[in-house]
Amino acid sequence: MGIDKVGNTGLGGIGGLDNLNSNKKKMNVDFSKILSKAVEQVNELQHEASKMQEDFAAGKIDNVHEVLIAAEKADISLRLTTEIRNKIVEAYKEIMRMQI
Amino acid sequence: MNSNFFGIMDISGSGLTAERFRMDIIADNIANAETTRTPEGGPYKRKVPIFAERVENSIANYLSEAKAAGVRVIGIHEDNSPPRLVYDPTNPDADANGYVKMPNVNVVREMVDMISAQRAYEANISVISSARSMVRSALDIGRA
Repeated sequence: MGIDKVGNTGLGGIGGLDNLNSNKKKMNVDFSKILSKAVEQVNELQHEASKMQEDFAAGKIDNVHEVLIAAEKADISLRLTTEIRNKIVEAYKEIMRMQI
Repeated sequence: MNSNFFGIMDISGSGLTAERFRMDIIADNIANAETTRTPEGGPYKRKVPIFAERVENSIANYLSEAKAAGVRVIGIHEDNSPPRLVYDPTNPDADANGYVKMPNVNVVREMVDMISAQRAYEANISVISSARSMVRSALDIGRA
């Protein structure tokens, strides 16, 4: 359960989907689903950012900051997901190393 | 996607867009500071953008409460103050007494507005970069 909790609160931050109340209901969702959903969202943001870069290069966008903000969002969400993944893998390794 | 760091970026982004638009208007005013002919007739009139608070009206917000989400430009106002009269009988647009109606644009004032728009743009950039550094330092919690 502890692992689920970390996943939920951490990844809720990416999409702003989960607030504290819905966390309780979602306790039973397995981690792989949450992770793949988060990766999907990150992927979407990356696509959005690269599309905007293309549009900017093609001269369709005249606001430079929109492109950079999209890139920044993609960067932040990627970092957040990576950070969460690292934490989870670390916890998993810790458990695997446990002497029985 | 409202109450997180991306929300901050969207709000400041709207501020950047608005200030850039204001810059467009100022550029137009300065470029037309000596324009005596317009499609409507008469000299060019100084233009001013009208900013309004942007309120998001999505269903999610409707259920809770309307959230302010930045600024938007709702229109352009034309300054109706009287034109400057310049005595220049050789100008093709001069009237019978030799006076030309010049635009009511004061270039010095436009320059001041321009600096103000530039600083406001920078202020919005500062908000974005400090939001970013907040996220980055929040991500450093995991590395401790």
